[in-house]
Amino acid sequence: MGLVDCLNDIVGPKYVSDRVPERYLYSFDMTENPPQRPAVVVMPENVKEIQQIVGLANETKTPLVPFITGQNVGGLTIPQEPDAIMVDLKRMDRILRVDDDAMYALVEPGVTFGHLRKFLDEHHPSLRYTYPLAPPFTSVVANALLQGLCDLSTRHGAMADFVNGVEVVLPTGEVVRTGSSILGDENWFGRYPLPDLFGLFSGWQGMTGIVTKMALQLWPKPPFIEHAALFTFDEEATTQLLQGLVRTQVLDDADCMSLSLVKMLLGVPPPVHAMEGEPDYGTLLSLSGSTKIETQQKLKTLRRIVESPEHGLSRPLLIDWDAITALMGDQAASWVDFPSDAFKILTEYDGLTWVGTYIHPRNWGAALAGGRRIVEKHGFELMAFLKPMNGMHYGEFKFIIRFPKDETTVERVRLCNEELLDHALDQNAIPYKTPVWAAKKLIARADPEFVNLVKRIREMLDPNGIMNPGRWGI
Amino acid sequence: MTTESVLEEWLHRCIRCSTCKYVFRQYSPSCPSGEFYRFESYWASGRLALGRGLKMNELDWSDDIAEALFTCTTCGSCEEQCQAPHARSIVKIIEEVREQYVQKVGPLPRHKAFADNVAEHHNPYGNTHHARGIVAECGLPTRADTAFFIGCTSNYRETSIRDAAISIMKKANVDFTVVDEHCCGSPLLRTGQTDSVLELAKHNLAQFEAAGCRRIVTACAGCYRTLTQEYPGLLGSFDIEIVHLSQMIKELIKDGSLSIESEFPGHFTYHDPCHLGRHGGVYEEPRDVMRLLRLDVSEMSLNRANAWCCGAGGGVRSAFRDMAESTARERIRQAETIGADHVITCCPFCVNNLTSSSDGEVDVSDLVEIVDRMSVANPRQRARESE
Repeated sequence: MGLVDCLNDIVGPKYVSDRVPERYLYSFDMTENPPQRPAVVVMPENVKEIQQIVGLANETKTPLVPFITGQNVGGLTIPQEPDAIMVDLKRMDRILRVDDDAMYALVEPGVTFGHLRKFLDEHHPSLRYTYPLAPPFTSVVANALLQGLCDLSTRHGAMADFVNGVEVVLPTGEVVRTGSSILGDENWFGRYPLPDLFGLFSGWQGMTGIVTKMALQLWPKPPFIEHAALFTFDEEATTQLLQGLVRTQVLDDADCMSLSLVKMLLGVPPPVHAMEGEPDYGTLLSLSGSTKIETQQKLKTLRRIVESPEHGLSRPLLIDWDAITALMGDQAASWVDFPSDAFKILTEYDGLTWVGTYIHPRNWGAALAGGRRIVEKHGFELMAFLKPMNGMHYGEFKFIIRFPKDETTVERVRLCNEELLDHALDQNAIPYKTPVWAAKKLIARADPEFVNLVKRIREMLDPNGIMNPGRWGI
Repeated sequence: MTTESVLEEWLHRCIRCSTCKYVFRQYSPSCPSGEFYRFESYWASGRLALGRGLKMNELDWSDDIAEALFTCTTCGSCEEQCQAPHARSIVKIIEEVREQYVQKVGPLPRHKAFADNVAEHHNPYGNTHHARGIVAECGLPTRADTAFFIGCTSNYRETSIRDAAISIMKKANVDFTVVDEHCCGSPLLRTGQTDSVLELAKHNLAQFEAAGCRRIVTACAGCYRTLTQEYPGLLGSFDIEIVHLSQMIKELIKDGSLSIESEFPGHFTYHDPCHLGRHGGVYEEPRDVMRLLRLDVSEMSLNRANAWCCGAGGGVRSAFRDMAESTARERIRQAETIGADHVITCCPFCVNNLTSSSDGEVDVSDLVEIVDRMSVANPRQRARESE
């Protein structure tokens, strides 16, 4: 019996396709990364079906590539080997439980940020999750597994830090759980004190198994939320000011972006370029409190730092959100209501890519300044985005490029991204959501014993090498 | 038929961000085919990518792509949800790719059957053509200010809608006639079979002009979309007003030409036909009429621009019946969720698909049927009739 027939038996023929449209559509994403068609796409509905698919892959030595919405901006669902089975998990889209006491949600991989937001608003309005500056219909589980950032990252860190535990179908077919749920179905309160096996799956880009459940920390929704807009000049000055602001510990989040991105939000048509004399960066600051007075005092704290005389001639400017709202009306509300429609500025063309990294705070400004020079040299719009992470223990920066996917532009994008990554690695920044080409550059510079350990763990978990082979270039 | 390529205009736009798949900020499903099939290729973003792949020779024209391409109901919800610059061109792009598919591969067999029927019988159902016969049958003038464009589904399938529409206009003493109408061309336009549409449009316009009509009224959402949106592009501008019957009824009740004299108990909801609502921008007049009828009405959560499609349009009911009926059942379920026992709509095709997919728990009617049942001619008209 052929592969397709076997898959038909497992999930039913409606959810198996080796037809041309599906093989084509699952072969590429929005990035410049080269396409590769899978042999077949299958859509399981439950853990048992996934186990059977994994069993079949082991028998036939067929690569498996997990897929949910394919919006990782890293080519991470593009098969790296021919004849793969693409495992599209979007049918597994249940929010299985929200635990009000321990404040977590247990979700399947097909749950998106939009759906979680809707569910919490309707059923648990006192709780909130956290959302990335991304389309609302990206997978929560995928973003957490890929250690992405969100609108509470300035306070709490990367999304993988908010995971209490996962259930995984291992490459050998067994189902395992990590964290406190090893003692029962209603016990997903945390990862400690245990060997933290979530690390076997976090950041592995689907090389170590298929995650079928994830428990995500939720937070009380604060009664008072305030925003402000900060406009700044110069990369070093901007990153230093952000460090100072975040270290006050009054901020929930800070989204800093090239002023070009702000102008795009205001409707300036492409291509958007910087103009002489305008601020270089605009930052959306978010803070919250139990009382209005608390948020006002927090804002005062920020204002004191921003208006300190040490900033010299190019003084930063802090603007109350009331003023922004008076100018922009409903648009202003939409920019701070996540999952936001602000991402729409990234949908100008069929291509979107970035080089994104997490970086030591002392290298943040230099990395940003160098990246800006590279982007300008290659003639793309300046679309830097940076975020102080985890209370300013580290920083994030990325350079986004939106581009039409014609052959010439794709090649220009590749060259620019390679140069950006080399520059970031020179600053000891760690790239995230790394496409294969970027992972190879990282591995070439990384401690070889780290790389060896990664390979040994992978071989131990996946003796037949079926899970997303070629990913990370290993 | 396409002169300027919308596919080429928007070739490098969609990043497949999935926003088209769900109601914006409401996060409910928006795409009937995507929800039914679930593979990426069955959502708007997938179809745009297929169009691009075909255009850039990354894909071959073959019947492998037919199902992904032709399971779109052209409901246009994706256009409401998409936030990208190409949003308002999505359906046009899909229809253009369908047109090219038909030219290169040929129409789907079931679609070809109704194109053949239009050619032979002037309607997609293959029924004996009889539109103008209604003039004598109903005692209508041969020339009048208003032409009632019946539409093939009302004339050959949901005939109670046709009869109710004629009854209402007669009660209200509207000066109207029925011309020798041929299929408006909608089913051909939606399924890529565009060769004969210009001739159909020319024929119908000539009939309207010969009958001295300055206004066309239709009870069919599909005809309304085609007459208002596509005929001007095909024929250039023409000096005839086009209204949907729901719009006319509102005015007839308000100016006293129709009197509402009975009650209709029950809990009603309104289903927005895609071709009337999203494509035609007519959302409020049917609701206004329901208010004038003093019906007990609640809205489904997906309404107006976000309404869930009935599943019939775009040639889907003829070629992909399972999907059409599954989509209709979902709409019926949405009505049941709010406790409605009557769904009213303004499209014979919606009535047809919703009725045939319902388990009978919810009644489905066209607005004109309800209006006809509840209305009488105004006293002056009744007096004239009794003289």
